[in-house]
Amino acid sequence: MTGILIVAEVDAGELRPEFWELATVAKALSAAGSGGISIAVIGANVAEPARQAAAIGVEALHMMEDDRLTDPWPEAYAAALIQLCSELAPRMVIVPCTILGTEMAARLAVHCRWQLVQDVTQIEATADGGLKGLRPVSGGAVVATVRAGAGPWVVVPRPRAFASAEAATTPQIVEPVRHAFEPPPLATACEAPKRVAIEGISVDRAKTVIAGGGGLGGPEPFALLREIADLVGGAVGASRVAVDSGWVQQALQVGLTGKTIAPDLYIAVGISGAIQHLVGCSSSQVIVAVNSDASAPIFGIANYGVVGDWKEVMPAFRDKLAERVV
Amino acid sequence: MRIIVCLKQVIDPLTPASALALDQAEKKIRVNLSAPPVINGFDEQGLEAALRLREANKDIEIVCLAAGGHFNTDVMKRSLAVGADQLILVQDPSLDTWDPYPIASALAAAIRQIGGADLVICGRQGSDWDNALTPFILADLLALPLLTLAKRVGISDGKRVEIERVLADGTMVMKADMPALVTVTSELGALRMPNVAARLAAARKRPRQIALTELTDFATAAHAPEVVDLAIPVNGRSCTFIEAADGPSLGSCLAETLLQAGVIRLGGERQP
Repeated sequence: MTGILIVAEVDAGELRPEFWELATVAKALSAAGSGGISIAVIGANVAEPARQAAAIGVEALHMMEDDRLTDPWPEAYAAALIQLCSELAPRMVIVPCTILGTEMAARLAVHCRWQLVQDVTQIEATADGGLKGLRPVSGGAVVATVRAGAGPWVVVPRPRAFASAEAATTPQIVEPVRHAFEPPPLATACEAPKRVAIEGISVDRAKTVIAGGGGLGGPEPFALLREIADLVGGAVGASRVAVDSGWVQQALQVGLTGKTIAPDLYIAVGISGAIQHLVGCSSSQVIVAVNSDASAPIFGIANYGVVGDWKEVMPAFRDKLAERVV
Repeated sequence: MRIIVCLKQVIDPLTPASALALDQAEKKIRVNLSAPPVINGFDEQGLEAALRLREANKDIEIVCLAAGGHFNTDVMKRSLAVGADQLILVQDPSLDTWDPYPIASALAAAIRQIGGADLVICGRQGSDWDNALTPFILADLLALPLLTLAKRVGISDGKRVEIERVLADGTMVMKADMPALVTVTSELGALRMPNVAARLAAARKRPRQIALTELTDFATAAHAPEVVDLAIPVNGRSCTFIEAADGPSLGSCLAETLLQAGVIRLGGERQP
């Protein structure tokens, strides 16, 4: 019997960074009596990222490798996880809040009728053997306290809500337990994803993000944002409007479909702040908004606001920073 | 060919937090003013996907189906105004809930009762509780293949559905034999506006009402985690507005302010 099973997601050959946040959650719940920690790594050629993940110190490392798991095919990945869970009988499965992870979590929870405790910013074991957590709902306008009774549970921590765990300095080497992928007939099929390479620093890893939205009116102004990002060693981001309009690549998108980020500084230029966008950036330490519309919702979560035309404001902003760099 | 689009009536997500009222006894989020509800935006995009499919195939019948505690019929009839053939409302006080299981069970029972569908389309999630679970439960109850997060939906040979699925850094084509369930995401695009003639025609149509007790097949056992408390988050931020004579001064003033506050550190640590 397994206590806590962490799903370590591997994307394009690399361990997803959310894993280290899941490890923090697992360690806290393990210390509270939820059992020992094991890791599940599903995919094709995942031995190296699996070894990295096991460095947090685990009871067991379960690996399911199969060519059919080369692409992020939700039904196949969910089938793999459901199979592992039937073999390992965990009390709790912790899954990353990624596009693939949330779908695996939902499919597992619905298939097994386990409680899905999702998008939580806090989670704790309760005295009566349940789980209690806090999660944003209504696009973050309301925080709900949720309580799940007896497990097993599927827990999906909200990105950036938990600190990253460190790898143990002298990790015990754990031999992976290999499991053959034996899915039931799969009803869906997928083609290899078309991925777009990211230019510059990835928006979800940068300490400063300067993002543009529909108010910029076209792709050209993003060159100005890029100059500012380069001055402060940051990344360029974008709202859905800018991505949908084809002004910038999708990898820059911040928000519900894009990335959930929590940089030290987030500068939103010409972004009105639709709730789907605010969900992705509201955890930033400091938020600066530049918008010509004083009633834009983005000002509601900003620390500093400028009501003005970005065409006049941002070149001067860049020039002032450039002056100081020299 | 029949497409069923599942719709949910939700409070307008643009409602300012100050107008939200939390009903702690019932664990419900209500609106403190007379603002009308809306059709969940993601579900509207599902309807747009269905309308686009019908442009390519006139033989498609579009049935909109909603399950909820109570309905603003005028709001829900917007689906008829943009071109849905039929609107079915399953209404019961027990369906005004944070729990997706009874809602999905009611939708599944209604879909069976009206003879099923070749394609069921749902929005990726409801903007009220953000569970994104109803489509998964519905697909499970109806034993349908599930394709999620479509920005494009197509039907080939009248029997196979193909979607372009949105990923964080690209897209992926996915396929399934119909009948199937597809969820759409906001990248699909907004629901079209109704024209005046269609709006007037829709005003004369009546939604079909089905009581939960009329659904012979309705049963629900499982539950999502219970909501035990609701709170309006205190974001702790108050916006300091930069004041200056003109745009360029605002820009340099902002830079000065951020530098002085230590928010921007030039020439400091660079990320790898």
